[in-house]
Amino acid sequence: MNRYLSDIFLSVVNSLMIKPTRLLPGYFIVIASILSANGAAVSAATSPERVQVTGEIIDTWCYVTEIMGDAQGTAHHLCAVWCAIGGIPVSILGEDGHVYMVLKVESEDANVANPTVVNIQTHKVTVDGDLYERDGVKYLFVNQVADDQGVVNLNHEDYGIIPFGK
Amino acid sequence: MKILFKSFITASFFVIGLTASSFAANEWGIDGEEAKELDGTVVDLACELSGNCPDNCGAGKRQLGLLLKDGTLYPVVKGGTNFAGGTEELIGQCGKSVHVDGLLITDPLMTIYFVQRIRSEETGEWSKTKQWGKNWKAANPGKKLGRWFREDPRVAKIVDEGGKLGIPGLVYEEE
Repeated sequence: MNRYLSDIFLSVVNSLMIKPTRLLPGYFIVIASILSANGAAVSAATSPERVQVTGEIIDTWCYVTEIMGDAQGTAHHLCAVWCAIGGIPVSILGEDGHVYMVLKVESEDANVANPTVVNIQTHKVTVDGDLYERDGVKYLFVNQVADDQGVVNLNHEDYGIIPFGK
Repeated sequence: MKILFKSFITASFFVIGLTASSFAANEWGIDGEEAKELDGTVVDLACELSGNCPDNCGAGKRQLGLLLKDGTLYPVVKGGTNFAGGTEELIGQCGKSVHVDGLLITDPLMTIYFVQRIRSEETGEWSKTKQWGKNWKAANPGKKLGRWFREDPRVAKIVDEGGKLGIPGLVYEEE
């Protein structure tokens, strides 16, 4: 009887020892997948820098490419509205000369043709936010619009209305 | 001789194909632009950077980018319709690998991509990035796509309220 129980005990011990070994690749794959998935999320989400930026809300495409000349101010306001409604990213042209692509404004996650952002095209604002820099682009997640001075860059007398003059 | 001739023809088609493929993107004469085909995964930029990831890359409400195999991330800021972005061109490929053609603009201010064509994984056929225009036409029947920026009701509302200069009551008089 003792021998029988002993055999059962050894059998159980062996199975416990063997099964995990046999299942190791499976466990390993599952665990590795979970770690990999989390790792991917973690590696993709980089650490931001808290910043305050003061500058003008601009149309990213026209300003960076200069296809409309110096695309800012009242002269370019209408075109900036078109581009924002068309879904081109909006940026802030900082007083420091840098361009910050805006991907979030306060509680609003939508950043394509977002009415809140469309309605403040050309405004001079001061914002607090999180800055992510990657591959030559400064991405800004605005946590708070601290100040909005409205449209103050009155350059239409010099340039007219760009691009079509009316 | 026949083999040589066949090889020549094959090589010619290969070269023509390469040439056509390499120079298919329309160049705009922008400083720092480069006609460039890219292989990458379509990603939600905000998700990629911050980890805040809604379903389906934000379903067209989020700016999209191309994540290359080497980890480089390019924002796709422009599509094939005038004054329109690239999100609606790529949203159908969220999370998928794509092969695209367009202009990579490397500027000291930022690096951006203008997607002009997308190649189908199934057929290998190229299609122009006109989805934004198709969607706008569907939402604005009877209006002219070529003047969408003049006829869009959202633009009209903003101009009615703030004028073309962004300041109510301020009008530019052409000389």
